[in-house]
Amino acid sequence: MKPLLCCANLTMRFGGLTALDSLDLDVLEGEILGLVGPNGSGKTTFFNVVTGIYRPDSGNVTFDGEDITGLAAQEIYYRGIARTFQRSRLCLDLSVFDNIMIGNHKALHLGFWHNIFKRREFKAEYELFREQATQLLCALNPELADRILKPVGDLSMIDRRRVEICRALISRPRLLFLDEPSAGMTPDETRQLMDEIVALDTDGQAFSLVLIEHEMEVIRRITSRCVVLNFGRKLCEGAYETVTADSQVQEAYLGRELEE
Amino acid sequence: MMRQMLAFLSGSAGCIVFALAIIVWLHVFLMAEEHVPIFICLVTVVGLGVAANMLKVTDAVRTSLAEHERLWNLCALAVPLALIWLFREDHYNLFLIGAIMVYAVAVLGLNVQLGYAGVINFSCASFFGIGAYTSTMLMTGAGLPPLAALLLGGVMAALVGCILIFPVLRTSGHYAALVTMAFALLFKVFMDVNDFFGGPQGITVPPMTLFGIDFSHNMLFGDTELSFYLRYDLLCLLLLGLAFCFVRRLERSWIGLSMDAVRSDDTASACFGINISRWKITAFVVGNCLSGLAGALYAMMQAYISPANFTFSDSLLFLSILLLGGIGNMWGVILATVFVVLIPEKFQVIQEFRYLIYSGLVLLMIIFSPKGLLPRQPRSYS
Repeated sequence: MKPLLCCANLTMRFGGLTALDSLDLDVLEGEILGLVGPNGSGKTTFFNVVTGIYRPDSGNVTFDGEDITGLAAQEIYYRGIARTFQRSRLCLDLSVFDNIMIGNHKALHLGFWHNIFKRREFKAEYELFREQATQLLCALNPELADRILKPVGDLSMIDRRRVEICRALISRPRLLFLDEPSAGMTPDETRQLMDEIVALDTDGQAFSLVLIEHEMEVIRRITSRCVVLNFGRKLCEGAYETVTADSQVQEAYLGRELEE
Repeated sequence: MMRQMLAFLSGSAGCIVFALAIIVWLHVFLMAEEHVPIFICLVTVVGLGVAANMLKVTDAVRTSLAEHERLWNLCALAVPLALIWLFREDHYNLFLIGAIMVYAVAVLGLNVQLGYAGVINFSCASFFGIGAYTSTMLMTGAGLPPLAALLLGGVMAALVGCILIFPVLRTSGHYAALVTMAFALLFKVFMDVNDFFGGPQGITVPPMTLFGIDFSHNMLFGDTELSFYLRYDLLCLLLLGLAFCFVRRLERSWIGLSMDAVRSDDTASACFGINISRWKITAFVVGNCLSGLAGALYAMMQAYISPANFTFSDSLLFLSILLLGGIGNMWGVILATVFVVLIPEKFQVIQEFRYLIYSGLVLLMIIFSPKGLLPRQPRSYS
């Protein structure tokens, strides 16, 4: 399988701290990649660098054969990379539908004339997107579809995560980054959400998924490959069993045994 | 019984009852001249408001508003028309009604800026003033017809806004606020020292003329002599109606949604392709254009303007209307404008203290109801 995303020699420094240290990381077409590592190992920084929130100090990011290093976040979105955030960044006072439409930005007609004066055309467009959003919500939780015009602030944590995932999915991304979707949820809820994600029917359009997760059980169950980061470097990669058996990984997570 | 009444009010009847109540109350309040009746009026309305909130009448009214929107729009049009007719011979009250409507247009502009896109603007009164001065100078200096001058007043305010937005975009938070404050002070000083614009004594403004009708003369209707402000009020109502429709359509569109996204979270917006500067600039320009149009019409109605009309304190006044009414809620904006314009006019004694009173009110509002008198409702796209 050919890689969809290639990161070569990626380095990101914040003052004296090297968050990413010459990282090489590939994401293959259609795979589910687990990104694990202790706190502060550079997982979220990696997402932020690829999605254009930070500009890397050195190194290259290639997406689908094109160099996207240092492009603006907006540009990266238009190329087909979508994400969720560790602390869900939804607009809490806006409705579920509004939040999902923020993710649909590339499909919206933003002209003044269209929006203000051609209300009939606008409404037809609105009905179409409303239908799309409802379908997406139904795939995750049909109850959410009934609350589509309610503010997101009224929803439970798991439903907010679902809305955030819908917001990322409605743009039909080729690469989806999920930054710790289980944060703040119970193990049961996490299991439920992960099942929903794996079962997502994306109209035959395969997308690659990169998942940051601390629950190793989740990683074992849904990822096809794992990459372990530590201090911004890649410690090890491979299938779940290979990675967990690696002595360096065990050391990074559990510490070194005292030498007698 | 209570439940039946709530059901009654949440239907179309709620709208009509509400509209009639507002007409009656405003009529009594505007007629009142002594301090005691004025005070009783105010206490009554505050009491009614609190009681309505406690008895869930406000919720019923909100349901009615969501379900019978067209009827509410018609009633909203009927209330000022009824009041204009009731005060047809009364210059002073007609002027006040016109002033409320013009101020509401300017605050609707501010609402687009601060309420939707989150662009702070402490110089709303300056853009109001730019509209006023531009239209005046175009009429007196260039001899343009008043209607063209009015529209160009709005255009000029938008253009000046295009320049001011650059330093605003380069800064954020408090610093962006400081840039607009500096502009407000600069505008006042600039107008004070330029004799070309009349200097501190101000300048007289020619009246509006439309289709050969001079707005500065009273007109006869049967035996009664109607105040010349009546025509101005109708024009103000037209402007307010258009501004209201425009801002509402803007809110209920992808443009309004993009502005909301920019305001709530710029990082998330950027990650979904939203061009942050584009929407901040759009909101700033649209808002200033509305303020400019309002200012131009206000100048003609008042027939005289001076830099003292457009000070930093006036900008704060506009902002306080927005905060009191409920940021993002257009009905709230109009309701708050009514109070903020009328109360100091009715209590002449408090004129000196009005900013003290407003700041007190805004503080109370922020403590007890941070979203304003009428909090903004989730967007519908109808």
